[in-house]
Amino acid sequence: MENERAKAAQRTTRLHLGMEAMETLRQVEEFPDNPLAMGYFYKLFQKMFTGDSMLPENKQIIATMCVQVPDELIYATGAVPFRLCSGAYAYDQIGAEFMPAKSCPVVRATSGMLNINEEIWGDKLSSVVIPTTCDQKKKAAEQIGDWSYNVYSLEMPSSKESDAARFYWQESVKQFALDLQKITGRKITRKNVKKAIAKKSEAGQLYRKLHELRMSDSPVILGKDMLLVTNAFFMDDIDNWIPAVTKLLAELQERSSEKITVSGRNAPRVLLTGSPPVFPNIKVPILVEQSGAVIVADEVCSSSRLLYDAVAYDEEILNDMIPAIADRYLKPCTCPCLSPNNDRKRKLVEMVKDFKVDGVVYQAFSGCLPYEMEQMQIAKVLEEAGIPMLYVETDYSPEDQGQLSTRIEAFIESIKMRKRKRKGGIASAAGRL
Amino acid sequence: MNKLKRAVNRSDISRFRFCFQIVSFVLLIYGGYLAINIGDQLPTFACVFDDARGGSCYLMGFQHQMSTPFDRMFTGRGIGILMGLMTFAGFFILLNKAWCGYVCPLGTIQDWITKIRTKTGIRYSTYSAPTFNKLKVIKYALLVLLILIPMGIGNSIAGLPKLSHDFAVPFCMICPGRTVLPLFNGDISQLAIDFSSIPKMVFSSLGLLITGIFFTGAFVKKRFICLFCPMSALHYIFSRASLLRLTKNADKCTRCGNCYRACDVGIRAIADDLEHKNIVKGDCMMCLKCVEVCPEEKCLQVSFVGLPIFESTEEGFFKRTTGKQNGK
Repeated sequence: MENERAKAAQRTTRLHLGMEAMETLRQVEEFPDNPLAMGYFYKLFQKMFTGDSMLPENKQIIATMCVQVPDELIYATGAVPFRLCSGAYAYDQIGAEFMPAKSCPVVRATSGMLNINEEIWGDKLSSVVIPTTCDQKKKAAEQIGDWSYNVYSLEMPSSKESDAARFYWQESVKQFALDLQKITGRKITRKNVKKAIAKKSEAGQLYRKLHELRMSDSPVILGKDMLLVTNAFFMDDIDNWIPAVTKLLAELQERSSEKITVSGRNAPRVLLTGSPPVFPNIKVPILVEQSGAVIVADEVCSSSRLLYDAVAYDEEILNDMIPAIADRYLKPCTCPCLSPNNDRKRKLVEMVKDFKVDGVVYQAFSGCLPYEMEQMQIAKVLEEAGIPMLYVETDYSPEDQGQLSTRIEAFIESIKMRKRKRKGGIASAAGRL
Repeated sequence: MNKLKRAVNRSDISRFRFCFQIVSFVLLIYGGYLAINIGDQLPTFACVFDDARGGSCYLMGFQHQMSTPFDRMFTGRGIGILMGLMTFAGFFILLNKAWCGYVCPLGTIQDWITKIRTKTGIRYSTYSAPTFNKLKVIKYALLVLLILIPMGIGNSIAGLPKLSHDFAVPFCMICPGRTVLPLFNGDISQLAIDFSSIPKMVFSSLGLLITGIFFTGAFVKKRFICLFCPMSALHYIFSRASLLRLTKNADKCTRCGNCYRACDVGIRAIADDLEHKNIVKGDCMMCLKCVEVCPEEKCLQVSFVGLPIFESTEEGFFKRTTGKQNGK
């Protein structure tokens, strides 16, 4: 009886998941002039969310959460990283059955996903690595450990300022490297770490090129597409991801030289920050771009924070390469679980300048306290910089769509007005001359 | 021009430095054979005890001058002292701290030892920032001593009796340059304890001890001895006036710490200082490895007389790192 019910729940969840993904993809593809090379990513998500299993076949999988688990070490063992952080409402609802009502939807959905897929995934995931980032992830890790998963809690400091914190994290990552060898049964050597760093660096370079392309005055790619590209990195095979992005980049560069843009020249340029938009929950970015704005940059852990930073080691010995990898995941990190987090403020202000941003959209998932609380500091910094910011509190349910779209549209309209006024101001000033 | 700039920014400065160091080393250690003498006030350890040197370290003459009695310091001899200091400063402001990173033979030897260690796969040690901050004060104390002790020879300070001439050039006596550099000319005579008087015995024993520490230290910690170098302390007084500058644009900095990792001396401020534009700190040797490993566009910049000559660029960063990753 119990088993029957579980089976039924699995079936309905999968059905809901597929519907949700297809609906998001429909909205994504509805935009005119999508780059042809995006087809790979649309298909990838369709396959992942409507197929039998999301997990890669015939590979040893090390599942991860957050952005602090060093991919390089996982690649070095020959296993593949698979980032779990879920954006699915279908899984969120499963998680809501056993998690507090006010918990964060990312943690709820991820736990729900692991819960409902326990039977199959329990064997397929060699380990579930969860860094000790925010309180909810930490507690979820304990809970997930009670199920049939091999949970590895990767100890991370709650600050990155002191040398002590840095050394602590380096030791933690070194231990992780040692334990990974046990989990995977394969040795981490100088040679394969070097290769792994090079591979991740190749992906990072591609990302940076896309990132910089978005600085141009005439945007060639919409934010919703960028998010799909980076989201795909969560679970796609890096060897497929790299050629797909290379192709996309080539197409975009061609578009750029032909001066083809995805939006009008005067479309408001928006920077997206806050809680991570993860497919299929990219409703806020979609609403922003449906309102006629274009997201030219993002500062979220599901996109820029995932791929931007680069490893640089000094000496080719494991004792230098592994700490170098560790540093890459802590020092430039701007996750609000770190305190203080002044680097995030500085980064946002700098991005506003570099990307000629007209307004910032700050998304916080209700229940995600670090982002909710940090909002006040960010709002202050942006106000000082004279950049309007819209703070939206949302979750994975589609119910707030109407209310959200009203607020977002109003915000985008106000930016347009501002832009027009500024332009008009310049024009009239010029007229007077 | 832009092409040249791009080529420089993509270049491997460390390799350039390696070659530059060899040339400087040969020039300073063997230059005498070619009758080369760059000058006697060099802001680097061109050791006077090496007979074939191509120039001389300023510190020896400086210590001698400091033993001038006070009343004579304000006569013609004072002008000599001032001229010496100005020549030293003149040399120094040309290259700033790069005298340490590119020219100093003792620094070069330490870098070679590091290369040997890397080949063996043995890891290096680092100081934590608080320890580093405590230790870096020592060189200033040494600088004060190398001025005060010679002064005590020519003068009676605070009513104390004058020191004997056995206290002359106290820093040279303990400097590893004196013991190590002549070795490259086959002169092992400095590797001895001088028993002629108690001060000489103490100083020369200390010298040998420090020589031992120099070699072992360099093997364990990159540029170990530089943290205690009074020459470096003396440099820093003139550093701000230098023509060669290393500056940081804090807005571009993500504080990723790559520069701090690469820093052989271990200067944390290079990554964390977001206030000062001039980022040359007292212990910096301007090896410019920090610029090499910075992936942010124009975050770190080297300029000569205001003209940018080498900048951190994303392109350069990835070119160098992928070169390394492909085993070049």
